[in-house]
Amino acid sequence: MLVVTQASLSLVAGLSAIPFSIVEPGFRLLSLVTILVAIAMFWLARNVRRRKRWARRCVIALEALSLTASLLLMVLPIGAIRGPVPILVNLVMPPSVLWLLLSRPGRAAFRTAGRSDARGAARGCAPPRERVDRHGDQQDKAGDDELPLDVDRQ
Amino acid sequence: MYDIAAEHAPAIGATIVVVVSLWLALGAFSTLARRRVTWALTLVETYRATSGITKLAGILMLVSGVIHLALIASHEGITGALFVIDGFGFIVLGATAFVTSWWRRPAVLWLLATIVAYVIWIIAGWETPDQIGIACKLIELVALGLVLRLGPQGRRTWPRRLWRAVAFPTLVSVATIGIWIGGLVHPDALHAHAGALLQPVAEVATAEQRERAAHLLADTRASITRYGDPAAAIAAGFKPGPASSAEPLRHFENAANAKVILDPNHPQALVYVQTKHGLQLIGAMYQMPRAGQWGPDPGGPLTQWHQHEGICFSPFGFEFSFETPFWTCPVGSTSVTTPPMLHVWIIDNGKLGPFAADLDKTVQKNLQGS
Repeated sequence: MLVVTQASLSLVAGLSAIPFSIVEPGFRLLSLVTILVAIAMFWLARNVRRRKRWARRCVIALEALSLTASLLLMVLPIGAIRGPVPILVNLVMPPSVLWLLLSRPGRAAFRTAGRSDARGAARGCAPPRERVDRHGDQQDKAGDDELPLDVDRQ
Repeated sequence: MYDIAAEHAPAIGATIVVVVSLWLALGAFSTLARRRVTWALTLVETYRATSGITKLAGILMLVSGVIHLALIASHEGITGALFVIDGFGFIVLGATAFVTSWWRRPAVLWLLATIVAYVIWIIAGWETPDQIGIACKLIELVALGLVLRLGPQGRRTWPRRLWRAVAFPTLVSVATIGIWIGGLVHPDALHAHAGALLQPVAEVATAEQRERAAHLLADTRASITRYGDPAAAIAAGFKPGPASSAEPLRHFENAANAKVILDPNHPQALVYVQTKHGLQLIGAMYQMPRAGQWGPDPGGPLTQWHQHEGICFSPFGFEFSFETPFWTCPVGSTSVTTPPMLHVWIIDNGKLGPFAADLDKTVQKNLQGS
C-alpha cells in the first residue's frame, strides 16, 4: 500500500510537469520518465503483494536509492526538505517500506512463498541462481495475493 | 508554497505525544500482562491478534483524530464543530479497529468524507492549505488505502479488478489537484505568486521608511547604471545565468558578492530583459546568504524581501516546475528553496513599484516588444 501511495504521488508529479514541458524541453523528458517510473512502481507493488522475490529486491533497491537521495538533499543547503510533508514522503515512507520488507516477518513471507518468474528475472532483479518459474506453473492462484503483513488478516 | 500555519503548529506536538504515548502504553500493558494482570493480558492479546494492516490503519486513524482535536481551537464555526466530530470519530474508529469486525465500512466512509471535505474547503477558500493539513490528508490517504486492502476480494471480474487498481491512485490525484487548485486560487497574503513567499512586514510605511526606500532606489540606480552594457557586467565579474525561452529576464550573478548584505555597490545580481535590440538592464537583485534569513528592510513594507520555495529545478539549465502539495518533483529534478531576495527595478515598474517581487506584466510585455 505504501509503494502504491508513493507510485500515486510520483504519477501526480509527472502529470503536473506536463504543462511546464510545453515550453521547457527538459521537463518534457523528466515528466515522461516520472510517469514511467510511477507505472513501474505500480507494477512492482502488485508483484510485491504477490510475494515475488525479484519485486521485493527491486523495491528495496528503489527505496534505498530514494532514501539516500533524500538524505543527501537534506544535507545540502537548498531547503529541499522542510516541514512534515516532505519528511513523511521522503524520510518516513521509504524506511517504512524497507523495514517491512527487511524485517523478519517480511523476509519470512517471501521465503515461504519462494516464487519468482522469468520476466522479473530477465529484468535483472533476480540473482543468477534463483529458481525461476519459467512456465508460470507456480503463479498465484485466486485469493493468494496478500501482503506479507496481512497473512493473518481478518 | 505550503508553510506551517502558526495556529496549526500544536498538531505537531500532539502527534508526537500520541505516538509516544501509544508506544509507552503498549510497553506498560505488556509488562502488566507478563505479571498476569487479567485486563492487561486481554488488551495485549487483542492487540497481538490484530493483523499488521489493521494495526497500522487503526494507529493512523488515531493520529488523524488527535490532529483534528488539537486544531479545534484554531477553527471557528462549522469548521470547528466538524473538527470535533471528525476527531472523536477517528479516535473511536481507530480504537474499534482492534476489537470489532464492523469498523471497516464506517472507516472507509469517514476517511473518504474527511478527505473530500478538506478538498472542498480548500477549493472554496474556507481553509488555506498548509503542511499540517496536507500531512494529515497523507496519513488519511494511507489509512484509507490500508482499510480498502482489508476488504473482501469478491468476484474477480475485470471491471472490479480495474476499479480496485485505479480507485486509490485516482483519489490521490484528485486530492492533490484539489489542494493545488485551492492554493493557487486563494493564496494567502504572504504569497506574491505561486512559489514566492513574502517577508512579513507592517502594513503601512512610515515617512522615514519611505525616505530610506527612495535612497536605496537612487543608490542602486547610480551604482548599476555602469553595467548598462552586459559586457561591462561580465568584465566586473557578473556571470550570465542560463537563458530560457520561458523566462525573458536574465540574471547576471556575481559570486564574489555572495556574503555582502544589501550594499548598492555590490549587488548579488543584475537583471536584464531580452528586448528586440538585445539585453536591457532593468534592475538589481540583492540576496541573503541563507534560506529563511530575511534581510534588512530599510523601507519596511516598501522593501519586502521574498524567497522562492516549492520549486522543482531541472538539471537541464534554467527550467522549473512547481512541487505538488505532497512535496514531490519529477524524477531528476530537485526541490529548491532560494535564500530571500529583494529586487530593485530601476525602470518604471508600473503599479507594482520599484521593489516588487515581480516585474509588472505590462511593463515586461512593452520592454520585450521594444
